Formats: sequence, C-alpha cells, structure tokens
Amino acid sequence: MRALDIDPVHDTRETFRALVDATSRPGTVEQTPTTPAVHAVVATLVDHEVTLHGGGDELRTTLGRESRLDTAPFEDADVVVVDGHTDGRVTVAKRGSLKEPSEGATLVYEVADLSADTEPIDGDDDQTLTLAVSGPGVPDTRTFGVDGLPATEVEAIAEAQSGYPRGVDVYLAADDRVVGLPRSVDLSVASDVPDEEVA
Amino acid sequence: MTDQTQMHETSPTTEATDNEQQESATTPTGVSDLLSESGAGMAGYNYAYLDEHTKREVRRGVLKAISLPGHQVPFASREMPLARGWGTGGIQASLSLLGPADTFKVIDQGSDESVNAANIRRLAKTTADVETTTDTTEASVIQTRHRIPEEVLTDEQILVLQVPTTDALRRVDGSDDANRRRHAHKNYSKMWVALYENVVKWDEIQISARYPAMVNGRYLMDPSPIPRWDTTKLNDADSLFLFAAGREARIYAVPPHTDVEPLAFEDRSFQVERFDESCHRCGSTDTYLTEVTGDDGVTRYACNDASFCEKRAEHPDLSKDHHLDEDDVAWGPETPDPILSDETGGEDA
Repeated sequence: MRALDIDPVHDTRETFRALVDATSRPGTVEQTPTTPAVHAVVATLVDHEVTLHGGGDELRTTLGRESRLDTAPFEDADVVVVDGHTDGRVTVAKRGSLKEPSEGATLVYEVADLSADTEPIDGDDDQTLTLAVSGPGVPDTRTFGVDGLPATEVEAIAEAQSGYPRGVDVYLAADDRVVGLPRSVDLSVASDVPDEEVA
Repeated sequence: MTDQTQMHETSPTTEATDNEQQESATTPTGVSDLLSESGAGMAGYNYAYLDEHTKREVRRGVLKAISLPGHQVPFASREMPLARGWGTGGIQASLSLLGPADTFKVIDQGSDESVNAANIRRLAKTTADVETTTDTTEASVIQTRHRIPEEVLTDEQILVLQVPTTDALRRVDGSDDANRRRHAHKNYSKMWVALYENVVKWDEIQISARYPAMVNGRYLMDPSPIPRWDTTKLNDADSLFLFAAGREARIYAVPPHTDVEPLAFEDRSFQVERFDESCHRCGSTDTYLTEVTGDDGVTRYACNDASFCEKRAEHPDLSKDHHLDEDDVAWGPETPDPILSDETGGEDA
C-alpha cells in the first residue's frame, strides 16, 4: 500500500476508526488520514478474502501486487468502488440473505464533494444535494451536503437498502472525507425536491 | 509477494525470521522499525499484536455489525495468547481499534485489578503502545466483561464487551441453525412463551443477567452477562457498544442513539436489581452493588464498579455525569425506583 502512500498499519487503522465513526453516526463527515479517501477505504477493507469490483488501475495494481485482489462482477462483488454513480444498478448489487444479511455488498462512491450541514459547498449549486438521514446512530435527523451524486442514484440506494435487514451499505468519499450510509438508516433528499421522500 | 509493503505485513513468524536483517538496517523503512527503536512493541510482532490480515477481517465484521444493529456477524476468530472464552473476542476487537493516541481501560466484573483485566491491559500497552487508565472518563476504548461502567459514556468512547454466549434464543433452543432462521424472520415467539411460562411459575421474569433485549425493533440481542441494572444503559446512549465473542466467532453492535428495549409484558414491566443496603466503602445507594462475605463471616455490600467507588469514597456527592457539560443525563436506573418504592418499598429487588 506504500505505492499509494498509505501506511499499511497506522493509516488503515485511522481509516478504520473514521469508518467506525461514519457508520455508527451516519451523515457525519469523517476524515481519512490519506487522500483520496476511496483508496484509504479500499486499503483498509479489501484483501483476497473478499471480492472487489471497480476501482482505478493504480488501486487494482497495488492490491494485485500484494495478492490481495480478487475481482468479481458487479452483482457478486463484496466491495464495489463506484465512480460517481451506478446508473441505478446499485439495486442489483449483492444484498445478502435474510439469514446472513451481512453478506450484502459495501459500495464506496467517489463523489465530487461532501460537507457537513453547516458548511456550504462551493461551486455549482445545481449539483449540490442535501441529504437527510434518520435511524440508528442519528438523534432525530441529520443532514449533509453532497456534490456529484445524482438524486436518482440516491433513490436507487434507498431502494437497495429498503428490504432491511437485507441490503447494501454505502460510503460516500471525496478528497479526505467520508460519509457512511449503512442500510439501517432512512435516506432521503432534503433539498431540491423537498416533498419527495425516497426512502 | 517480494514487495516491500507485503514484507511489512507478513505474519509474526515471518517477521521474526527477518529480524536480524531489520536490525542491521540503519534507516527505518516502516513504523515497526521506529517502534522497536522506541522500545515499544515486542520484537517480531506486528503493531497491536494482530497481523493486518486478521485486523481487516475483524474490521469488516465490526462495520457490518454496526450497519445491522443487533445482528450477529460471523468473523474468523483467531487463536489468541489466552484460552477462548477468556475475552479473546474482546481482545481482537480492541486491538483492531487501538492506536497510539488511545487510552485503554479494561474491566472485569467492574474491577480493573483482576488478573485477566490486568493481563489484557498489559498486552495492549506492550504491543499497541497505548496509554492505560482505570478512570472511565479518561478512556477512549474500554474493554469490559459483564458490566457497563456507572459513569456516563460519551460520544468519544467505545465500549467493547466480551461475550460468552451470543444468542439470546439459546436459552430456549440449543440449535444455532434454528435460531438463525428465527432471527431471519424476526420470529421470537419461543422467547415470549418462555418469559410467559416464567411469569406463570414465579409471577415475575426470573432472568438476572443476559436479559434479552430488542435492538432497533428488529433483532433480539443477548447483551452479554451484564446485570439487568446495565441493560437500560444501552438504549439511546452516546457511545458505541461492540460485542465480540472469540469462541463463537461472532461480532455484533449497538450504535449510539439506537432503541434497545428489554423484553417485558404490559403488566410485568422490566425491573432492575434493587438493594436495601448502601456501599460499605463509599455509601452509594445509586450504584450496582455486589454482596461480599468477609473472613469474619459478615456480609457487606460494595460497589461493583471499583473505579467509581474510589472516586465516590473521596467525593460522596459525585454524580454519574459529573464529567459532562450537561446535567441530568439519563444513564442507568433511577433511584429510588418509582414503581417499587411506592408499592413494595423495594423489597423484591
């Protein structure tokens, strides 16, 4: 992982702690020790025990050199790296079984930008969505901003998570920031389409 | 496999054979080199004892467990330097979490000083270079067996509970396969019938520790052998609770601000333990007490949470949320119990 400038022991541990916080407090923006966050997340979670779909060449080459790369088609992969959006295909990602729902896929989305509720996102406002989450880990409702994730994709994620406990777990990553959207939460678009509940 | 990075991540045995080569190197090439120079860690062992492959396995399990509150996620539990059933699951979870910036506390039945707790603490200190403490409020990660501390945990803290029996349904059916099917379909009728039979026979629910609780309205969970007193602390807490069972190779979790409801009937509500006595050391009446019979044959009651008892002995008025900015943070049972003090004066504690 040094090829990606990631310390295999301490950077992955810090990334894991960021993921623990992101998953147990959905909607909060957590920081990874290295950039880009998507590399840090994959380096922390992926080895030959799980299958990977997607991800850049650099990432795949590095994993392959350490014998940690086992690839699978989108529908069968345990970890899926998504560049922007899946065009709704997230609904066909692995959701696990009722008996073992933890076999559902983990999707890591590379998005343009992420911001906590209080910070505005610079740039094109048309692309900024405010998402609202509620459920375990969230007192009441929490909102955050995301740039570069289409509203239709948010709907598709909510659909893929709707059959709780079966479903997929999602992390959104941008620069050195990561937001967790585990399947236990209710996800909806809070801005742009205020009346449209998607979850 | 000849890559530098891979060398760094290889198993302890391989690293041990490379030890001579590492020592002759003048410039450090990785964190392990730096650590061995600072005297931390044991030569030949990876940081935090576990190899990185094991940590990834535990970490994947932990994240899935948090995503599915109350569901038992299987993981590949490794051999640890102590027997399974002595906290190996807790150690694997703790060592996967811990970093040099952490402060680690280990409690065994409320005590920091039991042999098992002291050894686990020392293992983490030696291999992961963490600070250790006995003060609940100073710890960032707390590994515990059978208790949740009296002092209110914050959103900066993670509690790792050691779990001997993972499935609440095992009380009513020994078949793991049948129980997993029940969890899949949220079919908890057999547990309800068992509780009903309990009420018919004893007029109350006779479960002391390991009281079954419903998590997020979906999964029935065994909260590990914590007393009923601690069960309510899991509900809508600020901290994350991780439950790890090394022998049964399962991890489950209760994220912060999650509904955890102990099973009870409308006319037989959930009751916590009640004590007529106060702690003989600090005089506390709002803590979980254990009965201790001394050499003189006299039975006394003492706080089970030894660290908090010491603080109380010095400051008798210290509240359980003394370290927080806000007052009256709900944590643990209210004292005196509104139901019992009105009707029976707390006699059937």
